[in-house]
Formats: sequence, structure tokens, C-alpha cells
Amino acid sequence: MKSLLIACFLFVVTANVYATPEQDRLALREFFTQRFPDLDLNEMINGLYAFDEGAREQWLEMEDFPPYEIAIDKGEEAFNTPFANGKSYADCFENAGIGIRQNYPRFDAGSGEIITLEYAINQCRTDNGEAPLPWLTGQLADISAYMAYTSRGNTMNVVIPDDPRALAAYEAGKEYYYTRRGQLEFACENCHMQSAGMLLRADTLSGMLGQATHWPVYRSKWGEIGTLHKRFMECNAQVRAKPYEAQSQIYRELEYFLSYMSNGMELNGPASRR
Amino acid sequence: MKRKLPALAITLLAGLMIHVSGMAADATESGAAIAKAKETIRDAESKVQLWTTSDILLQDAQNAAAAGDFDLAVALANEAGLHAELAVATAEKEKQVWQKSVPK
Repeated sequence: MKSLLIACFLFVVTANVYATPEQDRLALREFFTQRFPDLDLNEMINGLYAFDEGAREQWLEMEDFPPYEIAIDKGEEAFNTPFANGKSYADCFENAGIGIRQNYPRFDAGSGEIITLEYAINQCRTDNGEAPLPWLTGQLADISAYMAYTSRGNTMNVVIPDDPRALAAYEAGKEYYYTRRGQLEFACENCHMQSAGMLLRADTLSGMLGQATHWPVYRSKWGEIGTLHKRFMECNAQVRAKPYEAQSQIYRELEYFLSYMSNGMELNGPASRR
Repeated sequence: MKRKLPALAITLLAGLMIHVSGMAADATESGAAIAKAKETIRDAESKVQLWTTSDILLQDAQNAAAAGDFDLAVALANEAGLHAELAVATAEKEKQVWQKSVPK
């Protein structure tokens, strides 16, 4: 009887501490279902516009002539321009790079690394003798926007294979998301779970679900299209935590976790935000 | 008389020390404070994500030293190091509690 009780206790403890990614994802959806019982969770791919009706109307009007359209066109042109060696981006990706955004980030078993789409784009360039592009804005973001555009309507499908290195990367990203940091001692979770839908000064905070479905994003405050890691760096700085480098290991792990949490949701990038 | 001399010397020495401690910092002291802050920050950064304030305060300390305001330089350098230590303290505390925020 005693050993049975110990076994039960250990089961409960380990079940809580070592939840699988899928258990995490379902628990997160349940969290937001409880938090916003009248909200269609699929609407959360639209960030703050899922909560703020007034801002949503303005955003929908803006979507008639979306500010990221130029980036898509420029990205398409760059994507289809051959490298000096005659090869192109299409040679580096499955399905010639069309309609695959929903599968990123992915775990690369060879290197043991998390490969984000932007990381893969630059990897493609360096593998073909081209210089890597800057991570945050510009041509890399344009190409990423085009590739996201060709994937619109697909369902997020980030895979965590049965490999301890992949699971460790997921767990590192998860820990990062829930850990308070910076002089203001804010975790990502404090804004995007606890305070989702609430005002932070004049801005409505988006929720964690769907946060990874719509990148890159044209932000009005940036005046240009930028990548998710630009936003990570900005968020860190806003809580007075010294940002890491874009595409650093920890940011790629964070994106891996964050994207997995959006699995099953519609990919709707690129997007525009305030 | 012989027994009173050491007492007098001690009194004078103590008075001198109080005087020295109340004196304005010089370039050597501010240089040492800045070097110490840099070491503390470097050590903290190898372990955790720093606060943005450490680098800002350190830069301000260096600017103050360059402008000859050594008292301010020492104060800012000490503050920069303290912020690095606080970043480590937060990270160590969070290691123990972050799991509590994860929905189960």
C-alpha cells in the first residue's frame, strides 16, 4: 500500500513537472478558454485585434491596402533572383520554398540546432557563397514575408521530434517565456497571459496563442517590416533586460516553443500591427 | 607620559583616516571602481541576462570620470555593479519559481 502511494505521488509530481509539449499546448488553450470564454481562440492569430474592437476596425481598413504589400513584392523578386553560382533559394527548401512557413522553426537532427525560417534563408545564402543578410529588417524580412505569404491559410505544424536535444530546446524556450527578467522583472507571460487583452498605457496586449503565426510584421511604430526576433529584442528592452542577438540560440529556442504553442492555428503572415 | 604617546598617535591616526574617508575620490579610486564594476558585469553576463541599466550606468560612470567628477564616477560604477548582482539574484530566484506560472 505504501509503495502504491509513493508511486502515485511520483506520478503526480512528474506529470506536473515534465508535461509534454502537447500537454503544455492543450493546457494553454484551456487557460485562454477559461480566461476569455466568449472568444473564438482562432481569432488570437490577430493579436490585440482579437480584443480591441475599435483598433480592429482601423486595422481592417488598413488591410485594404496593407503596408506589407511592398515587402512581399520585393521579397518575391529577391527570392527568384539566382545567386552568383546560378542556384536560388528554391534549391534550399522543400517544395521549392513555397507554402512551407508553417513548418518553421524546425529541429535539425544533424546539427542539433533549431532552424528558424530566417536562419534557413541566411544558411541558404552562405551555403551558396552569398553574404548573409541583416536579421532584423530589409531584404531578409522581405523574403520571409514572401515565403509567409505563400503559406497563408496553412496550419501551424511545428514538430518536436523524439530527440532529447529537440525537447531540451523546447524546454529552454519555455523556461525563457515564463521567467521574469530585466529591471522591471517581467516575464513574457506577465504581459501575454496574465494581462492579455488589458491595456498597458494606450496599448492593448496581445495573447500568447497565435503570437507566432503572423511574422514578419509591418509595425507602424517601426515604419517598416521586421522579424520576430526584432520584436523579442524590443520586448526585452522594454522591461530593461539586455537583449540577446537576433537568431541567438536562446531566441531560436524561444521561437520554437512559442510557435509550437500556436500549432493547429492558421498561418496568417505577414501582418500589420500598430 | 610614555603610556600616553600611543594613545595620542592612535587618536591622530583615526582623525586622519576619518579625514581621508571624507575626501573626494580621485582618478585612481574611480578607475578601480569602474574596473570592479566591469568585472562584476562580465561575470553576471556569463550567467544571466543583464539589466540594460548596468551598461548605461557604467557608461555614465566612465563619462563622469572623463569629466573629472570622480565622486559621481565611483557612485555610478558601484550602482552598475549592484544592478548586475541584482540581475543574478533575480535569475537565481526565478530558477526556483518559473514553473509555477505554467498552466497545468
